[in-house]
Formats: sequence, structure tokens, C-alpha cells
Amino acid sequence: MLDLLVIGAGLTGLFAAYTAARAGLRVRVIAHGAGATHWHAGTIDLLGYVQNGEEAVANWAQALPELPPAHPYRLLGVETIATALGEFQRLTAAAGLPYERLDPDKDILASSASEKRTSQKEGPGQQVDQVKLGRNGQLISPVGAARPVYLAPTAQQAGTLHDDRPVAIAGLAGMPDFYPELIAENLQKQGRPARSASLPLRQLTDRRDHSPLQLARLLDQPAAQAQFAEMVVDVTAAGERVGLPAVLGLNAHLRFLTKLHEAIASRDPRTSQPDGGREARLAVFEIPTLPPSVPGLRLDAALRTQLQRLGVRVEIGMEVCAFHASGGRIHWVETETGSRPLRHTARNYLLATGGILGGGIWADRRGRVKETVFDLPLTAPQTRSQWLRPLFLDRRGHPIFQGGVPVDNFLRPLDQAGAPVYDNLWAAGAILAHTDPIRERSREGIAITTGYAAANAVASGQ
Amino acid sequence: MQTAPMHSVGTSLNACIKCNICTSYCPVSEVTDSFPGPKYAAPQSERFRDFGHPHYEDAYGPISRPLAVGQMPDASVDYCSGCRVCNEVCPTGVRIAEINARARARIVAAHGLSLRNRLLGRNELLGRVGSIAPAIANFILHNPVSRKLAAALFGVAEKAPLPRWHHETLNRWLARTRAQRLRSERKVVYFHGCATQYYEPYVGMAAILVLEHLGYEVVVPPQNCCGLPMLSNGEFGAAEDHHRRNVDRLAEYVDAGYPVIGTSTSCTLTLKEEAPELLDLERDPGTRALKLATWDIFEWLRERLDQGQLPSDLRPVNQTDQPFILPYHAPCQLRAHRIGKPALDLLAQIPGLDLRESHARCCGIAGTYGYKTEKYQIAMDVGAELFDYVAAQADESDLSSNGSVSLTACDSETCRWQLEHGTGLPSRHPIELLAAAYGLYDLQARRPAAGN
Amino acid sequence: MKRMQTEILVIGGGATGTGVAWDAALRGFRTILVEKRDLTHGTTGRYHGLLHSGARYVLKDADSAVECISENRILRRTHTHCIEDTSGFFVATPEDEDDYPDRFVAACRRLNIPCTEIPAQAALRREPLLNPRISRVFELPDAAADSFLATHATAQAARQAGAKLLPYHELTRLHLSGGDGNRTVTGATVLDTVSGEDLRIDADLVINAAGAWSGQVAALAGVEVKMILGKGVMLATNARLTNTVINRCKMPGDGDILVPIHTVSVIGTTDERVAAPEDLPIEQWEIDLMLTEGDKLVPGLSSSRILRAWAGVRPLYQETQQSGEPTHDSGDSQPQELPEQASPLDSRDATRALALLNHQQRDGVRGLITITGGKWTTFRLMAESAVDAACEQLGVSRPCRTAETAVPGVEQGHYWLGHRLNEVEDEELQSELICECELVTRSMLEGAAQRNPTVTLDDLRRDVRLGMGPCQGGFCTYRAVGILHELRAGDSSPVAAEWNVAHMQSPAHHHRDRSETEVHAAGAELASDPAPDDDSPQRSAAVDPLSAVSQPNLLLRDFLQERWKGVAPILWGQQLRQERLDELIYLSILNADHLPVDDRESPLSSFYRSDSSLSGSGL
Repeated sequence: MLDLLVIGAGLTGLFAAYTAARAGLRVRVIAHGAGATHWHAGTIDLLGYVQNGEEAVANWAQALPELPPAHPYRLLGVETIATALGEFQRLTAAAGLPYERLDPDKDILASSASEKRTSQKEGPGQQVDQVKLGRNGQLISPVGAARPVYLAPTAQQAGTLHDDRPVAIAGLAGMPDFYPELIAENLQKQGRPARSASLPLRQLTDRRDHSPLQLARLLDQPAAQAQFAEMVVDVTAAGERVGLPAVLGLNAHLRFLTKLHEAIASRDPRTSQPDGGREARLAVFEIPTLPPSVPGLRLDAALRTQLQRLGVRVEIGMEVCAFHASGGRIHWVETETGSRPLRHTARNYLLATGGILGGGIWADRRGRVKETVFDLPLTAPQTRSQWLRPLFLDRRGHPIFQGGVPVDNFLRPLDQAGAPVYDNLWAAGAILAHTDPIRERSREGIAITTGYAAANAVASGQ
Repeated sequence: MQTAPMHSVGTSLNACIKCNICTSYCPVSEVTDSFPGPKYAAPQSERFRDFGHPHYEDAYGPISRPLAVGQMPDASVDYCSGCRVCNEVCPTGVRIAEINARARARIVAAHGLSLRNRLLGRNELLGRVGSIAPAIANFILHNPVSRKLAAALFGVAEKAPLPRWHHETLNRWLARTRAQRLRSERKVVYFHGCATQYYEPYVGMAAILVLEHLGYEVVVPPQNCCGLPMLSNGEFGAAEDHHRRNVDRLAEYVDAGYPVIGTSTSCTLTLKEEAPELLDLERDPGTRALKLATWDIFEWLRERLDQGQLPSDLRPVNQTDQPFILPYHAPCQLRAHRIGKPALDLLAQIPGLDLRESHARCCGIAGTYGYKTEKYQIAMDVGAELFDYVAAQADESDLSSNGSVSLTACDSETCRWQLEHGTGLPSRHPIELLAAAYGLYDLQARRPAAGN
Repeated sequence: MKRMQTEILVIGGGATGTGVAWDAALRGFRTILVEKRDLTHGTTGRYHGLLHSGARYVLKDADSAVECISENRILRRTHTHCIEDTSGFFVATPEDEDDYPDRFVAACRRLNIPCTEIPAQAALRREPLLNPRISRVFELPDAAADSFLATHATAQAARQAGAKLLPYHELTRLHLSGGDGNRTVTGATVLDTVSGEDLRIDADLVINAAGAWSGQVAALAGVEVKMILGKGVMLATNARLTNTVINRCKMPGDGDILVPIHTVSVIGTTDERVAAPEDLPIEQWEIDLMLTEGDKLVPGLSSSRILRAWAGVRPLYQETQQSGEPTHDSGDSQPQELPEQASPLDSRDATRALALLNHQQRDGVRGLITITGGKWTTFRLMAESAVDAACEQLGVSRPCRTAETAVPGVEQGHYWLGHRLNEVEDEELQSELICECELVTRSMLEGAAQRNPTVTLDDLRRDVRLGMGPCQGGFCTYRAVGILHELRAGDSSPVAAEWNVAHMQSPAHHHRDRSETEVHAAGAELASDPAPDDDSPQRSAAVDPLSAVSQPNLLLRDFLQERWKGVAPILWGQQLRQERLDELIYLSILNADHLPVDDRESPLSSFYRSDSSLSGSGL
């Protein structure tokens, strides 16, 4: 018998499964399809904007009081959030895909290469220094805007806007998902020294498919890597850092990143020189692209590999079609198959199916908004005319996307009376009420921290 | 007012949000530009196909219209291997592979079917003819000269792993061993499929022996090809004839409540879902009854395991004390059942087995796809992920020197042949391993153990 | 102020105005057309795409029916490639009057509209999604028309005949001479809405073809033209539901037409009288009505994915002044019984026949003719009538030639749904796709952008269908902005030798065109060749067609908002999920709502914001 069945294989579900499995539970993940991690930019956005969202949040820990009282972050508190992120950093470092804060006072190259320095010091029980802990960084978006980000993988670290080195954005000519001139121009408009360059893509491959993923597969090959490195070095001026589309390989991109850095540094004495006592900063960084994002795929792969090591099976292609509950407990869920429904039985269930985008919430033409697995109560407005605002980019966001499953402090879904709907059901991630993770730029933060907290709540109840 | 014949396959294109997850996982578009990817081929192109209503269209021929626009606009969809990895990963439920299969049927309806594809769709007929004189047939088919001829004349890939006719079909074995077969009140129907009947009867023997070991009488009624090869090659009319015959032949057992159990994951998938869905027979009562009665053998055995009905007399299958490393690949056709990987649950009961689960997407062969000269290399490139995985298990074991990989396991016959072709290692159906673990079957010689 | 002189000045760049310019230029008049936005920005670009056989009006508006069938036959010759020969069904559902079909058949016969009854079972075999409870089916020569392409092709023909077309030039003043009872329109002042400069155009005659805006134009000459503005709401489905145009066999009403146009089916329309031509709110009840009525044609339509909703305003005209000219020759039809002007007229009951107002006879104002009313199907006939009247006023006799003159591109034959996919496949352009939903390639986009004024991405949408598919700009908005920006940044980018409007929707043509230009650009002499057509559709020689691209962030936000206003009224189910992915792209990944703000707005920014369809939301 499973201790925990996780429904949903996005960042929330996978990280919750990891947390629960590490706590010794027998866990399985089922999901309708591959998870939303594939759409992520591969960064951990914790909290970028609050309320009317004019200015980016500089320090998320200090901004928590500005969130609604029932916001998941308010339910968890700073310490749990910090611990969850520390665990996430531990996992990704172990998987060879280290994530680090974008702290301007940090030596990026040295810290990201080191597994030892994951933020274990911010574990539970210790007083958290919110000023130090909560500082967001900013990375360059694929259109040249500043993205508020908390943790970034090594390959994106040198794109931080805290860095004063001039930027060269180098694209691959003809690649449909990356426009270096546009990025550079927008950086300039924001007072950042930037220029653009174009690399001859057609010399690199005779494949016609120039999607980011296909290019990343190409750049897993040593011959293409060598040729690409030469091209990059050719367009890089002394003292610059180079922003490239996130296509630097799927399997061993960090090795290639280092190679690229060394190739540039060997041509530019300044890059490799010690700078005020620091070691060299990376001269290369990736900028994420439209879905499917290569950094998101790498993160998904890292999580899945860790889960395999823990013996957790992730079964994709399973859509929950029914469940059985009595006495305030869920006894099983059923997924549809080519023939009869398949029954999945576990002691506990974690709902991590996502919001409207993930498929955890469905809104129909009659204005009914429904939680798709257990038909849980939702906070979403049940009238179509209340769903949306007249402007797409309205910074307050659209009310329909703020609706979700209301939960208690242990992340158990609540009924209208405020009592847990089922004793053995938890919810985490984008399905939760009182947050609009896309508007807030908190997608990955909500996923990791609520997934972690829910898994811990399950584990502690065993 | 939902009375329309809005068909589930067709309308599923409405679910596409263009997110590209399918394209990220497609093993075919990764290795060749000939297939531009599942999103392009299915939800995208379907909107431009002349008969592109979002529902099942006339597959037997172009609908007579007063307009001269009966032509299919695209051809690259023919490079979809039909592995269904796209369906598996799609988060919104687009039936991509089925949309592609229907598009291929429309190409066939518009442009006709090549002799090669017609032949590949007739493996039952080939099986039957060859079984008249298996040795001669094997010689004719497998000698290098005829392979070259077949490649040149028909476009059947010279190196692709064609099976060999067995000296005895499953039916002849059943007839020969009738006296030894178990009689019981508890009965199941065994659906063997063409490959088991003509090329690998021992897989059927292993299945029958295991089912009998559990105390069930195994009924093997007359049956014919499930029609999948025809569906894959766009010959929907012929596929429907075959499917309807099976429905008729199995009806009395299905009505009596017997489970219909198969060892070929593609045949069972066809009975469960592909034929009903692609041929628009979901409302046909006989089709529906058969769909609900059909089981993959491990899906059925897993139920027995869960209910504590599985005999526990399982013994190690290897002769030595060393752990037996077994890379297991759950084929695409099995994953398309959406029943998880039940063979893993059963094989895990066998002592001394070091089971290694492959996460490779596809072996590449995809039924008849890898047998076509223009697609052979694509199939091998797709399979590389799996072949490399198997090789890596062997490397690992060599280093730790506590065993070696001598065998792989996979539930689907064409995938096993491809695995053997790509890795050089023999491959077995997991039921052969289970039968061996019960002492009923000789895994090396692939025949019932002495006394069975 | 810059000044131009012409014989005929046409106001309005919709189907009618462009048709007038074509007709006038063919008859040898020096002609200038001004349009305040892009060609087809008004009602022409907001229509459902039905090329009427006329049968819809046989029992209600015989004049219009006769005009339609006659023009239907002509346009199939003159604009062949702008038409998909879908044929049309008129189907009687159980809710429709029993005796209507017989009266319908008799009227079709009387008006010489070919009508064949076919067995319902045969119709269902051809269109399996049709309501199986239909009792009778008639087949008529309805078809689907691409009004964007047709107008551009007409415009190209007009330019070839010598006309100048000036989009993004807004009429601000009509100049009159003479006193009361002897006034003459002598020209106009127009504002270049992009550069902000005025332009004075002296003209012998002004033809007001401003459609729903005709009343406003006439008012500038002190003439009252009371338009009946009938707003029609339409919905597009994610994919085609039928390949045949479907009409209910009943008196025309709401939601009784289903038109397969390109990749979608359009269900239409409502008919609500509105006060102003840009008064285009889409009410929830209108959406619901379209879906409920749509279910009667194709059961399940209401649960199918809806891509978008939009509204257009019919420029209907009913002469109500005692002293006025009668409307266009009404043939043998019965006289219309019209309510008094004071009582609100239901726009559904207003005639669809064209109306020609000769203001010299009607109002004593010379030099001004208004052509209005009518249907898209009859735009050529309307142009013919207007230019006939112009000849009369100018005292010349020159016969109309448009009925016998094909516009550029007819040699391609009727278009068919698969044509783009077919070309993408043949030329292996899959990886060149920028708008993947509608199969728009990079070179199509570049070709359109370099040869037309690109003030907003919406202009390119009308040229090549950018952003018109399921994701509604989710992936292609970003790409299109990036590509245009690249084009502008690279001053040496090769310019296609000729923007051939006839092939503006052809991926293969653009691909070959670009490959050839690249070869040409390599040779220095050829690269400096002047464009063969100095009357290119650019706003003016001084203005770079890509000038708006200098504000890429504005282009991006404008188009996102433009797409939003059409999806917001129908966001639920799958399309809501799609929109959430689009949000993820533009917020989470691109952070497009925090881009540096450009210093000015486009002439359309406020239109995209104001034209919101979420009335009553209170948000």
C-alpha cells in the first residue's frame, strides 16, 4: 500500500514526491501528461510583484505582509519557505543542476560550482535574517525586460542585472524563438550597456528544425560545441559577458558552459583576472525561450532522476476520472484506461494538478468553475462576467486566475464551513486559492514551498 | 443538446494549447526532419485538411463532392511512427497519434496503398502461408538475396529484424497437447495474436502454462488478426472487416463473462481502443463489450496479485547465485493502455531478479514502421536511446562484476525483435520469465519445461 | 500643407471604396482613395465571409437577392482566388416553419437562383455534423470569400490602373464652394495619422464610400445621411465544423449562418441597432444566442472550442426623406412599407440592397456622391453604380469594365482549405513557421511588412492571417515583433522586388520570392533598381513602411490587447486554458508588462483598449 499518491507531475508534484520519499514514505506520482515544468523559464521565481505590481519586489521575505492573509506564503511563513528552498537547492545540487541565489555580493562562479555551499545554514530552528535571505535578483527576459528571480541555475547566473559588465546578446540567425537586437535595444532603453550579435546557425547544422530543444540536442555533440564556441568567441569583445538563447545542451550543459567561458576568457585577459579579490565571473549566460524551455526540461529531468533513485515511479498518461470516499477519507482514485478504469489506492493523496493552465481547474461556458479531480470547493467567481478585466496586461490580474482551492495551514482543502474536506487529502501548487502565480511571478516558489509543506504534513501525520 | 457525432478523436484537437510538450518528446522528429513533429502533424495540420472536420471522416474513399478539392494537402504525416508517446505526455488530452492515423487513412483513400504497405498490413496471411512449410519459408525470406530483392522490389528494409516462422504454430501445439490442458470451472480466453500463432508460439505456451498454474482453463477460440497493421497503414476498410470478425468470434465468450487476455500489447490495445476509436465503432455493442473484456495479461495478473491470488512458488530464474540483471522496456503500445507497468509489479516478485526499468521513449520499430526502407534508419536512430540504456546496464554490471546482462524483457513482439537487432541480446516477453520462475518454462530454449 | 489634385477622391478603404477606386481608375479617371486606418479595418474586415447566392433574401428582400446572385456569378470570375467554392446548404430544422421551404423554392425559381433539393441523408453524408433532424436540404451556389485578400487584390488592380491608395489618412474636412443651394464639394483635407501631417486633396468629385461612417462623412458637407447601423456579432470555432456554407431555411434571423472560412467555421450573426460605427460591445447574451442557435445547425457546436468573437456594423440605409431619391432601382419587387423615421427601425428589417445618394439631386450639393447599403457580395455593383453616377455628374460617358476585368491572382483558381499546408509541405517550410496555427512563414511576414504600412501587427494579421489561430498570438506576437525589429535594424535586408498581393497568402510564393531576391541582392546593379510600381501602397514616399517598428514594445502590447478584446468574451474551457498559457509566456517568461514604455501610442492603441467586450463586468 502506498503512503502517498501524488496527482500531478509538475514541479509541485515532483518536489512533494521527493520530499515525502526522503521522509521515508512510499510514494507514487500519476499525471495526465508531462508537467508544467516544461513551460518554465527554469528559474525559481519566488515573488516578483505584489498588489498592483508596478515595481518589482526587491525582497520577498519583507514583502510577505503585503500579500492577502490567506495567501499560501502567509500560511507557510518565511521559515518554512526558506527551508523548502534549501531542500530544493540540495536536491538540484545533488542532481548536478545547482540553483543559487542571485545575490550581488556573491561570487557566482565559485558558489554555483560548489555543492557544499547550498543554504543549509538557513534550516529550521535558526533565526532567519530576512533582509539577507529575501533579496530577489533580476535576469534578462527574452524580450529584454528585467525578470524578478530568486534562484537561478548556474547557466543563467551571469545574466544578472546586478552585474555591470556590458552585455552582448548573441542569437542564431534564423532561429524563430530568439531576437538579440530586440533584447539589446530594450536593455539599452533601461540604461544597460548592451549590443547584439548574430551567429551563423546554418553553418552549425543542416537540420531544418531550429527549435530551442533541437538546438540543445545538437549542442550536446562535441563537434557542434567546438564550432559554436568558436563562433561565440568571434563575436565577443573584451570585458563583455555573452547572453545566448538557452540551448547549450540537455545532458551536460554545465561542462559546455565552462568550456565556453574558458574559450572567451583565454582571449580576454580581463575576464580571468581576479577582480577585487573575487574569482572570475562567468562570461556566458543563457536566456530562456518560449515553451518548451530547455532550462525547464533540464529541471524536470533532474527531478525525475532523483525520484527514480528514491524508487518513486512517475506514471504519465493517467487522467483521474473518478474517486471513492467515505467517512471523510478518500479510499481510492480511478484513472481512465483503454478499457476499464484503473484503481489507485493510497493512505494519503496530494492534489498537485495545477490551476486552469495545468488542468486542475476547469471553467465552463455557464460560468461554473470546477476542481477537476475531487470537485473541491473553490474561491473562484462563479459568474463569467466576474472573471476578467478589460485589459490583458492589467497588473491586478484577472479574478478567475486568483480563484482556487482554499486550504488550512497544513494545506488541507477546506469546505465552506472551514473544515478539511477529507482527512487524507492535501493540495499544493498553482491550484491553491488566493494566489495568481503567473501574475505574481511566484510559480516555482509556490510549487516548491507548498509541495514541500504538504509532503511534510503528510509525513508528520504518519 | 450533445447529440452530435462529434467524435472524441477529432474534437480532441480542440484541446491543443500549442504548448510543444508533444514535440519535445517525439522520438521521431528528434532524429529526422521528415517528420515535423506531432503538434504540426495533428492539431495544427488537421485544421487545414480538406476533410478536416473535427470528427471521423469517410475513410473508405473521398466523399463525393461537387468540388474538385479532394486532395490531401500533406504527406509528412506518413512519417509519424504511431508510437503514441505524444498522447502519453500531452497534458490536455489531444489524441495526436489517432489524428495522424486517420490522416494516413485519408492519404490512402486519396492516393491508394502501396503493395509493400498492403503486405505489411497482412502479417496474418504471411504467417499462415509461411507456416505451411516453415523451413522453406524461412529460407526464402531470410537469405540475403531475397532480402536484397525485397528491399529493391517492395521497399522492405534489408536489415530490419524479420521474424522466423516456428516449426509448430500455437494451434498445432494446443491440438497436440489437448490432453494435458487444464479443465476448470474458472475460464479465460487467450487472444494470441498473429506473431504468437506463427512466429513465437512459445510466448503463448508460457502464458497458457501460467494461467493454468493459477487454476484457470484457457480457451483459445478461433480468432484472426486484430487489424492493427492495417490501421497503421491506413487501410481502414480491411481493418474493420478483421475487427468485426473478431467481435463475432469472441462474442459468446465475452457475453459469458470470460476475460479476454492477450500477451501482445498491440493486439490488446487494438481490441480495447484503437479499433473502436479509429473505426468509429465505439457505439457498436459488440465492440464495446469486447473492449471492456480485454486485458493485457500482466494487467490481469496484477489484479490477482493485489487480491492475493497469485501462487507464491516463484523461484529465481538464473542458475548462478549472482543477481540476474534484467533491463525491462515497457513498450509504447503497452504505455498507451494507460495501465502503468504491471509487468514490473509481477517481475518484482521473482527472487534474485535485478530489474532495471528503461525510461526510453520508444524502440523505434513501431509495428511495421521500421520495416520500410525509407524509415529503417529513423527507427534505428529512435531506438538508440533504448539500446544505449541496455548497454549502460551491462557496463555497470561489468564494473561491479556481480552479474551481466544476458537478456532483456519487453511485452511487445516487434519491439523485442528490434531490441535484439539493436542490442545483440536475446529478448523475452515478461510472461516467459514468470513462467520460468514458476518452473513451467525453459527460458533458454523457449519451450515448456520438461513435464509441462 | 502638402497638396494633391485628382478627378475622383474616394473616402473609405473597405470593399466598396476599393471597388470604386478600381472602377474609376479603369474608366480612366485620376483617382485617389483615403482610408483612415488600414484597408478593410472597418466592416469589410469584420464580416463572416459568406458570398451570398441571394437565396437568403428571396422572400424578404428580392432586390438584394437579385443583386447577390448576379454579383456572385461575376465575382467568381473577377476574384476567383479570393473565393472557396464551398457550395451552400439551406436546411430546414424541426424548429422552422413547415411552409417556408416551398415558398423558398418558388421564390428562388422566380428570381433565377439555382436551387436543388437534395435528400437529407445525402447532405448528412457530406456534412456529418449537421443536425440529423433536418427535414429538407437545398443546395445553392453560396461560397466563402476572403474579404481581406479580395480587397487587397482589388486595391492592387486599382493601383495598376493608376489609382493612388492612401491608408492611414483620415478625412478631417470637406471643402465646399458656393452658397446655399449652389454648394459644390471641391476636395478634402486628410490627416496622415502616422506622421501627423495634413494633406489637401483637390478633387472634381468626392465619392463617399465610408460604409458605417458614411453619415459622418456626409455631415462634413452639411448633408444628412441617416444610417441604420446594425451590429452583428460572430464567433469563430477552432476548426471547421462543415465544409459547406449552412443557412437555416427560414426568414433570416440571428445565428442562422455557418460559414467555413479558411480554418474555422463562423457562426453569425446578431443584428442590433447601435448609435455609432465603433460601438462594438459584445454582450454575453449575444454569445449565448449564437451558441444556442448554432446548436440547431450543428448539435454540440456550443461545447466546441470557440476561438474568438467579434462584431461588425452593417451600413444599412433606408431612404426616409419625402424629397429623396428612391433607392437603387428596385426592379419588380413589391414596394417597401417603411415605418416613420421617428420610430426605431429594426435593422434586421432594413433592406440589404445598395443605396446610391446623388447629393446634387437629393440635397443640392454638387461634387459628392454617397454609395452605401448593400452587402460585401455586391461591392462591385455598388462601385459600378457610384462611378456611373460620377460619370453623369462629370458629364462623360465611360462604360464600366470591372465585371469583365479580373484582379491579379485569378489564375490560381479558387482557393481551398489545404492550400497553405500543401505549399508548406511541398517547399518544406515547416521550420520557417512563425504563426504555427495559421501557417504563416517568416518570408510571408517580411514580405507583407515591407510592402504595406505596418502601423500595428493587426495590419499584418489582415494580410497574412498572423495570430488568427487557436493560440491567438500566444507564440507569434513575440516572434513577429522580433522579426520586424530585425528587418528594421538591418538596413541591408533585401526587399522583395514586388509585393504581389495576389500571392500575399502563399507561403511558397514568398519563399521563392525571397530566395530570388537574395540572389538579386548579390548583384549590385539589380539591387539599386527602382521599384517598378511607384504607387506602392505605402502611405507616402517619405514614410518608411516599418516606421512603427521603432516602437517594438508598443507593437507587442497593442497586438496582445487587440487579440485579447476578441477572446475575452468567449474565454472559458479550452480557450481560457490557452489564454493562461499566453499569460505565462508574456508575463512569466517575457515580463512584457514591465517593458520600457515607448514614448507615444499608435493611432489604434486606444481603440484596442476601448473596444472592450466585457460590458457589465464591473471590473
